Amino acid sequence: MTISFDPTEHDHVGKPLPVRDAREKVSGRLRYANDLALAGMVHGALVRSPHAHAKVLRVDATEALALPGVVGVLTHEDTPRTVWDGCWFNYRGPALDGHARFAGDEVAAVAATTPEIARAAAALIRVEYEVLPAVLTAEAAGATGAEPVRDEGNLREPYVAEWGDLAAGEAEADHILHAVIDHPSQQMATIGRNACLADWEGDRVTVWTGSQTPSELKTGLAMALDIPQSKVRVQALPTGSSFGQWWSNNFMMITALLARKIGRPVKIELSNAECFATVKRRHKELSTGRIGVTEDGRITFLEIDHVMDNGGYGFKNDVGFFCVDNWGRAESGRCTVRAASTNLVTAGCMRGVGDVTLGNCVERLCDMAAERLGLDPVEFRLSHQLRTGEPLRHIMGHDVPEVAQARSDSKAFRAKVPADWPEPFVLSSGSTAEILREGAAAFGWDQRFVGWGKPNHCDGEIRRAVGVGTGIHCCGVELEGGTAATVRVNPDGSVKLHASVGRHGSGAETTQVQVAAEALGVTWDMIEMETGDTDSCPWSHGSIASNTMYRTGFATVSAAKDAKRQILEVAARNLFNCDPDDLDIRQNLVHRRTRPDNERYTIAEVLNAVRSDALGQFSTVIGRPTEAMPPSTTFARHFAAHFVEVEADVGTGEIRLLDYLACQDSGTVVNPHVLMNQVIGGAICGAGFALHEELHFHPETGAVMNDGFLDYKVLRSADFPARTQVIFGNSHDSVGPYGARGAGEAPIAAPVPAICQAVFNAIGCWVDLPMTPERVIAALDRLGHTPH
Amino acid sequence: MRLTLNRRETELTPAPLERLSDTLRAQGLTGVRVSCSEGECGSCTVLIDGRPVTSCLMLAAQAEGTSVETIECDDPATAALQQAFIEEQGFQCGFCTAGFILTARAFLARTPDPSEDEVREALSGSICRCGAYPFITRAVLKAAASLRGAA
Ligand code: FES
Ligand code: FES
Repeated sequence: MTISFDPTEHDHVGKPLPVRDAREKVSGRLRYANDLALAGMVHGALVRSPHAHAKVLRVDATEALALPGVVGVLTHEDTPRTVWDGCWFNYRGPALDGHARFAGDEVAAVAATTPEIARAAAALIRVEYEVLPAVLTAEAAGATGAEPVRDEGNLREPYVAEWGDLAAGEAEADHILHAVIDHPSQQMATIGRNACLADWEGDRVTVWTGSQTPSELKTGLAMALDIPQSKVRVQALPTGSSFGQWWSNNFMMITALLARKIGRPVKIELSNAECFATVKRRHKELSTGRIGVTEDGRITFLEIDHVMDNGGYGFKNDVGFFCVDNWGRAESGRCTVRAASTNLVTAGCMRGVGDVTLGNCVERLCDMAAERLGLDPVEFRLSHQLRTGEPLRHIMGHDVPEVAQARSDSKAFRAKVPADWPEPFVLSSGSTAEILREGAAAFGWDQRFVGWGKPNHCDGEIRRAVGVGTGIHCCGVELEGGTAATVRVNPDGSVKLHASVGRHGSGAETTQVQVAAEALGVTWDMIEMETGDTDSCPWSHGSIASNTMYRTGFATVSAAKDAKRQILEVAARNLFNCDPDDLDIRQNLVHRRTRPDNERYTIAEVLNAVRSDALGQFSTVIGRPTEAMPPSTTFARHFAAHFVEVEADVGTGEIRLLDYLACQDSGTVVNPHVLMNQVIGGAICGAGFALHEELHFHPETGAVMNDGFLDYKVLRSADFPARTQVIFGNSHDSVGPYGARGAGEAPIAAPVPAICQAVFNAIGCWVDLPMTPERVIAALDRLGHTPH
Repeated sequence: MRLTLNRRETELTPAPLERLSDTLRAQGLTGVRVSCSEGECGSCTVLIDGRPVTSCLMLAAQAEGTSVETIECDDPATAALQQAFIEEQGFQCGFCTAGFILTARAFLARTPDPSEDEVREALSGSICRCGAYPFITRAVLKAAASLRGAA
């Protein structure tokens, strides 16, 4: 394992410290939302539409209300018509509006003294529907005369990124290759179900639920309830596995509304089937692409048309396709994303959004080109993937006027950026180059890759072969900005870090403390962190888009440095009688930089000296970010290069993973344990998508048919190779905290093309996703002969 | 009904069709995590007379007269596994962890010196969606070694 700096220069950064809540996790004491109860609480259950698309004509709750134990019912008639927006357009709609947009959509809710009574009451609520024509595919959504799923119409404005002269690129190409890849919808398939509890005190509501995005949830609740944000307090709790499922979800809005209606605290706990079928999923995405290459290996153009479905309430018009950046050396390109609303369960950002799907299409096209030219896939990536300092092809928000302006006048814009920061609009640091090279060497690629479509081992019906794939994702989205943190140093020298991040297993509650401890100079046991309480944590995007280390970490470090500055000013004035710049803090002790062992005071001593400070300061220090993080000036990405060996049985169609190497470039590694877990976890979820995972929708109602682990297969322990290795790249980012960038999403993007390529090399043809035994056999049948 | 719960004689009065997982959670044993409720994920695993059982599929009444142990039960093998899970970081979100530890405890009781592949197979009844499997495997091997050392 290579680590990107000399760990001895840091006290906390780079150390494999155990995660902060490890003891609670192994002892079963960590409190998830479904463990929580409130005094006087009642239980809610949701009434869901059986139809894909329908108007609610009448809700008759007479029978339900007559059931002993039932406390009250909420319908769209009690619900403000204000539309709430989930972050990054993952949801747009009123909490309830009498219009069911998918089978499983909420139409009413009921509260009762026990969950069983609530569920029984929900079944007794009679809803009269006017059934509307259902739009079940993106294609149908765009057809003339299609029934509108939403008032805004079914189609979002196409999102286009283009560069160079496509026509010239096409004319110059010696070979043009095509691919069409139908990406099924993946389910987050969370382990752990979520619950939401809401309690009103007067006109103010507190909501407890598992969420990666506490601040966004507060914003969403204020919109859905039509009240000021000051009246909403979110106490976000740890989630089970999430992968983007638990951001802000409509059932949370309904819980708060139901509690307000009946005047009692309410808890709604979703069943596993509800988690699978009614909340969120990855989009169904159909990628159609072409690539042109010259005989000498130049990519002259890359063109992709990508169609995705948003389901009922998603409102995205793009998927963050950083994969196009990664192959940005292509001389020209056009990538068009077209999104449509359908009467299927809402689709939104699942881990690696876009880079898992569209990224797979880009990688496929490049692999097809490399195969045609007989070039090694590692070498082909090394030749064509972007390097540090090269211009990005696709700038998120390129159509936003201020971004367009900044790009067109980049000199003036450059002047606003700190001198030691990277040039704007270019890749800030890192690339796939180093991890590809190191990975290829460690994997023995040159010996194990024996040519395109050729297994390196055959035995009866068994074929073995290797594959490589690369993945990329952002480190937060440039335009998002605004993320903050505060660091409060108490009179006894203990520290509380307030930064709103998710606790879904990504270790942010640990790594944020590591960078805060490093910046402040205290030992990490002195710091506690609050992640979920929106009354104390400043606004932040939360843990989405791999932004937690890069952006929240930046704010955390900045706030810690501000707290440190204040402490040193007090110490300089009251104790040392020197310039604050001559002082430093390490291991909780304030000392002179030049003579660290001479005169030393604890932080508590410094802050207690303030009690008599003539300037009347307080003995609590609050640090806040002093450096803005200009959202559009620095473009960081993180990278994955995965190497895999598979075994295909051409008789049964079964694919087994034999060996796996995951290489990751996230800049500085803040906690190797946490990062390894993220990398392997991503690889396993991506491998699941490549091999098994696919939601099935009912042909008439669009309802999710495989709404549990019985019918939705995910990888288990024995399905992933025992031989698994991780290598970290060595880059350093001049903006990210101690050189670190994002981490969690490139690792789910790389396995899909890597495994597809390995299967191609084993059996000589590309297989549709997911590559189940039936599909492998079907692909072999199309090939018309048993290979080799 | 009477049973031994975490090594104490206990009297419980579950409703007629109550699932064991609900009964145990109602006792404040939050380590009994319920996820799928259909016996597929293993997060609700408890030990009944030393055997791992998915408590979401079992009626509470069926536990009458048995010895039920959850992650909350003080036990040297559980402690060794917990320590190894912390050191190897055999989890991310932690929702599946108690189930994996109890499954591993029962497995190590039968197979004190397992191979890596035996561990991977033995744990395949459970799901860790976060994908901590390689670290879980390492943790179980490490705990096995430390328990053998202690024996
Ligand atoms: S909750 Fe019991 S096996 Fe999943
Ligand atoms: S740690 Fe999250 S499911 Fe295993």
